[in-house]
Amino acid sequence: NNPLFIKNFSTSHPDLKYHYIAHTSIDVIEERVSNGPKNLDLYLGLLYAMEDLAVYGYITNTRVKLVVVVSVTDGIIRDADMKALFRKIHTAYVSNVCNPFYNIDSQKSINSKSFARSIETIGINARTTLEI
Amino acid sequence: MSSNPAVKQYKALGDEVWKSKVDKINAELFTLTYGSMVVQLVKDFEDYTEVNKQLEKMGYNIGQRMIEDFLARSGIGRCSEFRDTAEAVSKVGFKMFLNITPNITNWSSDNKEFSLIFDENPLTDFVELPDEALEGGLWYSNVYCGVLRGALEMVQMQVEAHFVSDILRGDEVTEMRIKLIRYLEEEVPVGED
Repeated sequence: NNPLFIKNFSTSHPDLKYHYIAHTSIDVIEERVSNGPKNLDLYLGLLYAMEDLAVYGYITNTRVKLVVVVSVTDGIIRDADMKALFRKIHTAYVSNVCNPFYNIDSQKSINSKSFARSIETIGINARTTLEI
Repeated sequence: MSSNPAVKQYKALGDEVWKSKVDKINAELFTLTYGSMVVQLVKDFEDYTEVNKQLEKMGYNIGQRMIEDFLARSGIGRCSEFRDTAEAVSKVGFKMFLNITPNITNWSSDNKEFSLIFDENPLTDFVELPDEALEGGLWYSNVYCGVLRGALEMVQMQVEAHFVSDILRGDEVTEMRIKLIRYLEEEVPVGED
């Protein structure tokens, strides 16, 4: 259950905090997923909120969990926007997996430069469109 | 590149053959198959120069057989000179099998050497070379070199083909250099391994 990839876009919070958040999110997701065998929806919505941060989750059919953490501002974050964001991340992940040199079973984190670049772009775009 | 009528003719022929006379398969299936094959070779041999050689050998075997299919479907006649061969390879050959037309450039002064520039390469969708492969000198698409060598040998041309640059390795373009060594006189093709 090691994290495959973590990217920190904020200026205020240190990385370690996000590692902690990632692990707690996984627990919450496991809870949600085990409760309903009829898991039709990939988007899990708001998992939980703490201090000034809100955590959104998304699970793929291959049990890969995507977690997005945003700092809560006055603006409302729409579900549709979040779903679109997760879909983009999912697409980037799929492209990365299609690389024949990528070892899916490994416990190690993702080392691909182009994956990192695409996540970076998604994050920067998200900043401007959602103002997070 | 001259725009002589032969070029246009080959282009039209290539388009026509692609449209009607060939079966098509899913591109991702093809890409993933080739990818897992390369990765398996890397695991088996662990030496990237050896992997390059194996890819070239595999290509050679494919090319020797592919040329028959190519000639049958395209109905192309003998090429009068090497320049025509280049055009046929690019506009009919690659078009027919991969639906790409690499550009022909950098003709040498004696017209015996040219370069193929690949703007797109179906083998390399989604592929990213790990650092060891970059350092080891892996030419991911080396199978193409073998295919050309095998195919052209069956039509009495001995050529040497190798990659000089590859986008996967961080270069600007993917470029293959092909050199005509000699025309083979009527003799049994040189069998290797």
